[in-house]
Amino acid sequence: MIKSRKALHALSPEEFSLLHAADFRHRVEQQVLPALWDGKLVIADRFLFTGLARDVARGLDLDWVLKLYQPLLWPDLVFYFAVSPATSGRRVVGDADAAASTKPARTSPHVDDPVESYQRFITRVIREYESLALIFNFITVDAERSIGEQHRQIRGLFRDGAQRPWSDWNADAVADWLAIGGGAA
Amino acid sequence: MTARKPAFTAVDGIDGAAIVAAARTALASIDREARGGISHWDASGLFGEAAVAGDEAGRPSARTLLLLYAADLAFRLRWEIRPALAEGRGVVAAPYVDTAVAFGRAAGIERAWLANLFQFAPRPNQRRFADEAARSRRGHGFVEFALEHAT
Repeated sequence: MIKSRKALHALSPEEFSLLHAADFRHRVEQQVLPALWDGKLVIADRFLFTGLARDVARGLDLDWVLKLYQPLLWPDLVFYFAVSPATSGRRVVGDADAAASTKPARTSPHVDDPVESYQRFITRVIREYESLALIFNFITVDAERSIGEQHRQIRGLFRDGAQRPWSDWNADAVADWLAIGGGAA
Repeated sequence: MTARKPAFTAVDGIDGAAIVAAARTALASIDREARGGISHWDASGLFGEAAVAGDEAGRPSARTLLLLYAADLAFRLRWEIRPALAEGRGVVAAPYVDTAVAFGRAAGIERAWLANLFQFAPRPNQRRFADEAARSRRGHGFVEFALEHAT
């Protein structure tokens, strides 16, 4: 639903943010919380922070966007793969799927050159990610390094944090989910 | 002589058919040359798409439906309501914010969350409530949809 509308450039920043919040809420209720409730481990590639960084970079108010995602479900670990805007641009252009999409052109509608548009946008997104990384204590991974090096680092960090109890700060999110029948056998 | 502010009327209620009937009455009360039109829910087609989603997608919660409603309302404001008002025409939003807030409160959702969700929606000049069910046909408004599809 989101992809087809995005391809048509038919979404305003508010509509994009609200649709992503709806999609996120649905996935949390239908996939993430049921799996956690069953004692499974969940890896989310990407979580709410991506939406926050992207929406704030598009000019929306952080507080308004953050409240859309309430009740919040905080991950136990957040890995942030940090790259420069230049590296991000090179990887997007080098990625056949991404290059075939209209993503760069969509990002800054007042800039004609899609590469320039993407560079401006991703620079703002990275700035927001860096702020969020400080506020929410992300584990920053240097994604300029090789995939092998990043892989080894992630494995080490993940092993250290594998055995964790339920987080108390997720009580509101779990209670909200149980109230709508989540966790029923 | 001062320019008259274009009328922006919100019609809310729980019965889809009654909302449509009340919206038509509200529109008819606007001078013919200043009539913009009625902005109905699901102008964006989001709920139509959600209705045909497979069972494997799972039933959405009330909160998810409200986020979709807000996305649809943002669409309606951008393409229907604000352009009509900018042309100096009166427009009727049927339903608007109060229908969704009432549904959300009935579903147990916090008032503060709902207030934040609809912060982007401008206040209408007039608010009407469609409290008489139109018995001639079954309505298919947001509340009926939500009761049919939500968990």
